[in-house]
Order: sequence, then structure tokens, then C-alpha cells
Amino acid sequence: MAMYMRSLPEAPATLAAPPAPPPPPAPVAADAGARAAAAAALSGAALLAACGGASELPAGFERRAQARTDKTVLGVAAVPAPAAASAAPAAPGVPMASAAPGDVPTASALMDWAERVYSGFFPEHQADQVWAPYTYRLYSNGNAVGVAEGRVYVLGPLVGQSEVPVDVGSLVEFGPLVGASRWAYDDLQAARFLGHATLGATDADIVAVRALGYEAWLALQFAAAPSSGNWDWLVARGVDKDPDAANVAKFVDSQVWQRLIAAPDSLRQRVALALSEVFVVGFDGISGPWKQFKLAAYWDLLASHAFGNFRTLLEAVTLSPAMGNYLNTVGNQKEDPATGRLPDENYAREVMQLFTIGLHELGADGSQRLDAAGNPVETYTQDMVTQLARVFTGWNYDGARSSGNPELMRKPLVLNAAQHSTLAVSFLGTTIAAGTDGKAALTQALDTLFAHANVGPFIGRQLIQRLTTSNPSPGYVSRVAAAFANNGAGVRGDLAAVVKAVLLDDEARSHVGLGHSDFGKLREPLLRLLQWARSFKASSRTGDWNLGNLSDPSTRLGQSPQRSPSVFNWFRPGYVPAGTAMATDGLVAPEFQIANETSVAGWLNFMLSMSSARHADVLPDYTSELALAGDPAALVARVEKLLCAGQLQADARQLVVDAVASIANTGSGPTNRVYTAVMLVMAAPDYLVQR
Amino acid sequence: MHLNRLPDLARRAFLRRGALLGVAGAAAPWAMNLSLIGQAAAAGSPTDYKALVCVFLYGGNDYGNTLVPVDNTHHAQYAAIRGTLATPQSQLQATTLTPLSALPDGFVYALAPQLSALKPLWDNQRLAVQLNVGPLMQPTTLAQYNARSVPLPPKLFSHNDQQSVWQSDLPEGALSGWGGRIGDLMLADNGGSVFTCISVTGNAVYLTGQSAVQYQMGTSGAVAIQGITRALNGSGSAQQALRSLITASRPAHRFAAEYTRITRRSIDAEAQVSAALAALPALNTSFDGSSQLAQQLQMVARMIAARSAFGVGRQVFMVSLGGFDLHDNLAENHPGLLSQVGNALAAFHDATVELGVVDAVTAFTASDFGRTLSINGDGSDHGWGGHQFVLGGAVKGKRFYGTPPAVAINGPDDVGQGRLLPTTSVDQFGATLASWFGVAESDLASVVPRVGHFSPQKIGFV
Repeated sequence: MAMYMRSLPEAPATLAAPPAPPPPPAPVAADAGARAAAAAALSGAALLAACGGASELPAGFERRAQARTDKTVLGVAAVPAPAAASAAPAAPGVPMASAAPGDVPTASALMDWAERVYSGFFPEHQADQVWAPYTYRLYSNGNAVGVAEGRVYVLGPLVGQSEVPVDVGSLVEFGPLVGASRWAYDDLQAARFLGHATLGATDADIVAVRALGYEAWLALQFAAAPSSGNWDWLVARGVDKDPDAANVAKFVDSQVWQRLIAAPDSLRQRVALALSEVFVVGFDGISGPWKQFKLAAYWDLLASHAFGNFRTLLEAVTLSPAMGNYLNTVGNQKEDPATGRLPDENYAREVMQLFTIGLHELGADGSQRLDAAGNPVETYTQDMVTQLARVFTGWNYDGARSSGNPELMRKPLVLNAAQHSTLAVSFLGTTIAAGTDGKAALTQALDTLFAHANVGPFIGRQLIQRLTTSNPSPGYVSRVAAAFANNGAGVRGDLAAVVKAVLLDDEARSHVGLGHSDFGKLREPLLRLLQWARSFKASSRTGDWNLGNLSDPSTRLGQSPQRSPSVFNWFRPGYVPAGTAMATDGLVAPEFQIANETSVAGWLNFMLSMSSARHADVLPDYTSELALAGDPAALVARVEKLLCAGQLQADARQLVVDAVASIANTGSGPTNRVYTAVMLVMAAPDYLVQR
Repeated sequence: MHLNRLPDLARRAFLRRGALLGVAGAAAPWAMNLSLIGQAAAAGSPTDYKALVCVFLYGGNDYGNTLVPVDNTHHAQYAAIRGTLATPQSQLQATTLTPLSALPDGFVYALAPQLSALKPLWDNQRLAVQLNVGPLMQPTTLAQYNARSVPLPPKLFSHNDQQSVWQSDLPEGALSGWGGRIGDLMLADNGGSVFTCISVTGNAVYLTGQSAVQYQMGTSGAVAIQGITRALNGSGSAQQALRSLITASRPAHRFAAEYTRITRRSIDAEAQVSAALAALPALNTSFDGSSQLAQQLQMVARMIAARSAFGVGRQVFMVSLGGFDLHDNLAENHPGLLSQVGNALAAFHDATVELGVVDAVTAFTASDFGRTLSINGDGSDHGWGGHQFVLGGAVKGKRFYGTPPAVAINGPDDVGQGRLLPTTSVDQFGATLASWFGVAESDLASVVPRVGHFSPQKIGFV
């Protein structure tokens, strides 16, 4: 089942990144060197000119014998030694990691990678040139990279116009970096990937990722059927037979907590969570009996469509009892000229503003299109909302709601033709003819929305924000939008392809993001709790997962699944925390919308209780950690690995280790050491900001 | 901690420096302002105190059923449009408002029955009604709107953007709100106090300025971090480590740095806030324990009572209530929301009387937008202009301000379906409040940038 990757093909068809990267430089380039490179571009060109133009080997390369070594330039210095990197413990029956020393990139693959990941240094694609023993490329800013006899050299402004080439590492050493979007070269890389791709890393997950490589691991996740649903979980508990449960929303939170914490299909649930924050349905906005079933069915719907097609998801959401209730499609009546009554516009507006195209025209890279006057271009007008609302008339529950049984809560809405508007609908350049039947009108409307060029970048960017980083570069958004537009087999809207593009993009997998101040996101409180619960094998004493509604920021988590206060989710994709450095630098930070003086304190108090096993029902299993209690550094390293892929800075790490070590390792000492290691790591800002 | 005052000249120099600081000031306002204050001599204590309280109604409050035309002519028009959602004339008698100056065209309004708690405040001239106010870039006629011949507010009818436009003059992503910009001007006189702009609701742009930051607290007060106030898992060292960990500067990543800043403010403020609140005598005025809005306003009242502990002379507060986006179930849900608003505002007023600050505190309502006057069966949809309330001892109450809109659909005052085209702008509304609060004429444009397009700039309700 494992796929061995013995060598890197030059133009791999299966890589997430497209073969020809677009010219615009990405903000996720390395550090100050990029700025120095840009500033010194002119003198770099002069250097080349002096060498007789672009076809000749730069003179510096000829002085290879005098080369100096600097392995920090393109990141090799950060890669663990090959022996340690490849020593992944094998799981029974799982072949050894393919990230073995045999994976040596070709010169071309190395330079392609450098262009993608260090676009600040190498700002456009250049063709290979050969001048024995070098294969090399020259760039417009005067930088040059070349490979000779298995070693990689650079020249130009990026190394301060050195007269001798700088040896930045061997092709062998670059193997793990060049392959970083294909496999994890050590446990921390695997844990980092799992932090993006699941609801919490476990030892088994790390082993599997290292053994299989990312693509094969993802393929397994995509192929696996969804885990047993929330609806069935409620039925198994007899909630549908409980006469009280119809009107008292028993287990309304439990049904989703159990799935989020215990379901084995962690990537699918992670994506369902992300979708639940786009296609928001919140408890406060639904009505009628059997709310727990209504929300359970909705979660099951999101989970089952997470790797399917966006068009199918859109229709399923539109006709779900939960969304139909939440945004008023249910019972929406056609216009009545006699009374002046008009169709409810709620769903028509939000399906455009929040679920498909947003407010303004976007380019494929997610940036706003501007008109001739330099203004953003509205995607839709108020009149279009009013007209589109006609499409969503005549739909209702498939039967009378009753306390008798909840079955209605998962049956798609059905059409009452008599209540469906017969007026024509013009919106987004399409006209649905007057008198079109409701089902056909819905199909035409959703097809129109689905076909809009905005959907790929609009939805793609939000999925990136939920999974990897708040401020993706235009290039990253473009690549994910491209995957939405075409999954490689000519299909538009393939969410599995989109998820794969998000997770395997160089921007997410490359080591560059680890050191870049703009990469990453503030972990939303829900993810912090779930990652803790999964990494430390939390279980429910009662089996009911009685976490309840954790929305209160002063005394609890400050966030709870399916409890968003409005259709706008807990935080907006475009939220800018006013009065901060992010604001001045034009960055968004969605999760900061719920970060304030109350919630930062509430989080620490809540996590103190959870981490020290004081919750009445949901308790961690720290057996593996207790085994390391006698070695504070190892204990902290393990906790750090699972929770944040080792991303604590050295000073923070030392604080934690020293604090743990200060607790005597006798009596309840080991337990307190583990509690403290977990608590302190989860309190650290280096943990809270995920990269 | 005693916070110094700056004499006037030093204040102006501080403001100029503050403006130049720009980002740097915004990034570390607490520390930065303290260091600047250190350069100025201490002055005396404030001679007066004023508080502005923004009561934001999230979702877009339905103006149609909030302030209802009750005279025969206009009620009939209203009832014809609102159908099953119309409040009968008979139910509006007790809350009919008789203003000091009669409205034109025989307009008589009544408060929704559930706002009855506001009626005595109106009668005592402490409540004013601002008719048809909303975001405008400049005075806009219906013809200009239809022709799109003048600049219009961005992203009309979108919740999150209109919330932001109301609070800041800009759509979502705005870098400061006009409450925060007022705070900027008051910051020096407050000695740079972090208790200048206080939110008892969630994060919102309204209270953030260039230098002033929003201090957020809950309805129970400031939250203490248990792990740093006692031994952590039995370890004093771990307790110390936690404190170091969460307050150590994090220059390597902006997000981590900002999160740390919030934590530091939380810790620094908590001790002060908790001590100040604990020292207060209990309020006699009772607030409804089941109403989030009432609980928030109660905390505002308590913070006002504690103002001398913070050494502040000017404070801007924000509270909120959600749930107003009544596309459906308007008849079922709107009354309860209005009831909360009326009762909470009345209790707040009473508390300010009890505290002897009724003339010093002005509260006002705001909302994303009004809604359509037409209905969709059981609710109304997104609109634009709406009616708002202003309340306080300094308010020139028992009056209407602005122009009563025609009760019509596709009439002379709406942009379709009874969505009101505002005749008063948020800039004018804000300028009026800011001016009362102490903002100088010449500074009004820094608070509400477009006020210069309108005449008069101030409305006169306070």
C-alpha cells in the first residue's frame, strides 16, 4: 500500500504545485536576504554583464575551489542530519519511510523548488543552462544558482555579491527540503502536517505519515468512508425515543463533541469543522423540536460531503432542514401583490455573500478586481438579491414537524409549487424564465453560482485560512483556486483536490513558513481543545462527552461547535484587529476577533482545569507522558511535538523544562510534571500561533 | 496606580507625537503612553467627568415596529404595508410620544409597547429620538441614489460591513472606530489610561483608535488568571514560569507578539479592576439578571461608579445585544428584544441618577441598518436608515431630530421596499455626541471624517 518515492521526477504530474509558477513574488520568501537581493538587483545585473551576458557561466562559479560554505542561505542548516531524519520507527506492517537518503533531487528539481520556495531570491522561472560541470540558472535580479558535482552553489546579491560561490549544501542534503511537500523528513515535520490536516496528532498518525508520505496518507483519508454519524450516535442512545428530548435539546452539544474528539476520520472531521465555519448554522438561530437531530444531521451532511463536490454540497446545504430553518428558506413564500409581501431575502443574500462568491469580483489569486477608476467591483446588487430570493420560495419541511420523531430533521426540504414564485429571476448575468418550476429554478440558480469565477478563490482562501495560514500569498490562493477549477481530471469543485492543494502547497509544507513572521494563524480555541483531546487520547467517563456549550469566554473555551452567535461565524475571514501591527501591515487575523482580555484569561483557566484532569467527564490519558516524567526535557519535547510540532522557541522551551524539573518527581510529582508540561506548552504564545 | 494628568500645552504636544507615532503608538499604546507621560509634569485632577455609551443592536433593528406612526393617516399607511406584522393602533396609546415641538405632516409616533420603560424618560426630557439616521458619504437624494451619481457607503445591506461602517466610517477591515478616535483625543487627559475605551461586549472596531485601544471585560468583571495567582499544579516555580511564558515579548512573530500584548493588558488591568469593583457599594438599581444587555449596562454603571480609582475623566463604553436580524419570526422575537432594550436603558438611566452622574452620561443606540418596511410574510429584510435613541441628563429630550420618512414602499424617502434613504448621517450623529463629550470643533473631522460634507454638522440633541 505504501508508495515509495525513489527519485523526484523533473515535472511531477502529481505534485500539488503546478509546474510553471507565476512570476509575482510571494510574500513567503525568506527573510532579509530577499530584501537585500531586491535592493542590489542593479549591481547584480552589472556583474552578469561584465561576464559577457546571460549565456556565459558567471565568473564566480568558476572559482568553485575557493567556495565558502553557508548552509543557512537556502535552509539546509535547519534540516536534521540524514541519519536521524530517516530513523522513523516502523509501525507493524507499514513499510519504512521513503524519505531515505536515496531520494536525491535532480539539479532541475532543486532549482524549480528554489524558485517556488525562495521566490524573493529567484523571482521568475528561468531555463536550465549547462556549462560543465554546472547546470545553472540566472535571474533578473542578478542572483544565480548552480549545481556542480552534486553540490549547490549560489552567487549574487543574496550572498552579498560574493566573488566566490557560496556552497549552500549538497543535493543529498536538499532532498528533505525539496521533498518537503511530499513527505515528512522527521517526526516534527509529520506532526506539523498533522497539525494542518487533522484535529490532533497521535503517535500512530506520525508513524503513518512518515511511512506513507503525504499523498498516500491523504489518499487513504479521502478513500475511507465517513465515520459513523452524529445522528446514529443519538439514536444509539435512544434520544429519538426520549419524549423530553424533542423539546429540551439534550445532547445537542454532545453529538458533535463525540465526533470531533473520537471519530477516526480526523481529516474529514477537520474539513467538516472548516465547512461548518463557512456554511454556518448555529443553535441560537434554529427553532422547533429536535434541535439536536437537526444539528446532528447537518454535521453528518458536512462530513459526508467534505471530500465530494462543492456543487453537491451547496445543494445539500440549501435543502437541509438546518440551513433551511437558520436562513429562512423553510416556509419562504412567493410574492403577494395584494399585500405587498415579498420573498424572504436572507438565504439569497447569504448564499452569495458567504457561501459562494462574496461581495466583490476576485482574480484567481483572491485579490479584488478593480474597475477603470480603481474601485472594487461588486459581484451582485440589492436587486439581484431581491430577485434571487424568488428561487428559494416554496420549500418546506417534508412533513409536519412533530415531537413524535425527528426523522423530518434530516429529510431534504421539498417543494410546494403553489408557494413558489412564478416571476422571472435575473441575477449574475443569468435569467431564469418566468414560470420555471422550483426544482429547475434551484438547479439553474445553484449552477450559476457554482460557475462563477469567484468561487475557487473565495472558498479556497477560506479553507487555507482554516487549515494552514491566515494570510496566504496570492500564489498560494491561485494554486488552490486552480485545483477547485480543475482537479486534474477536468472536474470543477472537487473538494478533495482542493484540500490536497491546501495541505501540500509549498507554502504550507516548506520550512520557510516556520521562520516567517507573516505565516501561520492563531489557533482557534476549538482546535486547541480538540488537538489536546486527540493527542492525549481523551475519553468520556459517561460516554456522553459532556463538554456542553463552551461558548462563554470568561469561564470556558470561548467557542463551541454549532454555537456560532451568527451566520458570520466566530470570526470573519477578513477580520483585522484594529490598532495592531497586523493592521498597519495589511494582514488579517481572523481568530483574533475572539481574542481579548477576557478570553485570553478564560482560556488559561479553562485549560488549567482540562489539562489537569479536573473535568467531570472528559479526561486525558497521559500514560505515554508519565513514562517520561523522569526526564523533563524528553517529556516537554514529546508534548511539544504532539501539540505544536516543536515550535516553541528556545527561551520558552527552557522555561517549561525548568518549571517541570522544579517539581519533585515523587508521589504525585510525576503526574504534576505532566500536567504542568501540558499546561505550560498550551499557554505559550509560540504554541498558540500555529505554523 | 496613580495616573498623571497633562497640562494643556503638553497635551497638544502629546497628541502631535501620538499622531506621528502611528503604528508604533498603536502597537504598544500602554507602555508608550506611560513613557510619554513621564515627560510631562503632573497636573491637577479632572474637573468634570463624562461618559458615552454605545448600545449596538446587532443584526439590523426593524425601525418599522420600533417607532410606530400612530396618527390615523400614517398608521393606516403603516398597517397596510405591514399587514399581519403591524402593531394595532390601540396597543400604541400608552406609549404615544408627545414632543415639545410637533412634527410636520401631522406625524405622531409611539414607541413599540415593549419600550414602555422609555416613556417616562421621554416625558422627563431625557430621551430624544433621532429619525432616519444611517451611513452617508454626503447628502444624498433619491434621484442621486438611483443614478448612482454620488458616492455611496460601501457594501450597503451587508451586516458585517454596515456594522463596521456605523462604527468606523469604513467597511470590515477598518483600522479604527469613531469611539476610539474620540478616545485618542481624551487619552492624554486620562493620563493614557487603558480604561478610556471599554467594551463590555465582544471585539468591535468602534472603540479602537490610533492610540486608544479597547479594553474588553465581561459582565462579571475582569477575569483573573488562576495559574499565576496561586501555585500551578502545586508548584510555585511553575506558577512563575507561566507568568513569564505568557508575558515574555515575542518579536519573532506578529501574531504571538499581539497575543502577548493582550495578555499583559489583561493581567495589568485585572488587579485594578477587581479591586475597584470590590470596593464599590452595591447599586440599589436593579438590572434584569436574565438580560445580557442589562448585565452589560450594569457593569458599565459600576465602572462609572469606580471611575476615581482609574483616574479618568472621559470614558467611552460599548455594549450590545444581538438577534435583531429578523427575516422571520419578527412578531415572536422583536418584542422580547425591544423589551430588553427599553428596560435595560431605563435601569441604566436610573443607575446614573443613583450615582449622581445622570447629566454626565449619554447613551445612544446604533444598529447595522434599519430594515425594509415591506414584509416577507413573517419578517423584514435588510435596510439602511433607521431610528435611534439618545438618553441622558444632558440630552435635550422629548424631541424628535431629523425628518420623519414617508410611510411608503418605493416612496420618496426609500430606495425600494421601504428601505430608508437616511436624511441624517452617522457623521452628524457622531459629531453631536463627540462635541458634547468635549471634542473641539476643529477635531470633529478627525473623529467622523465626512462630517464636513453635511450641514449642520451637529444636530443638537445633546
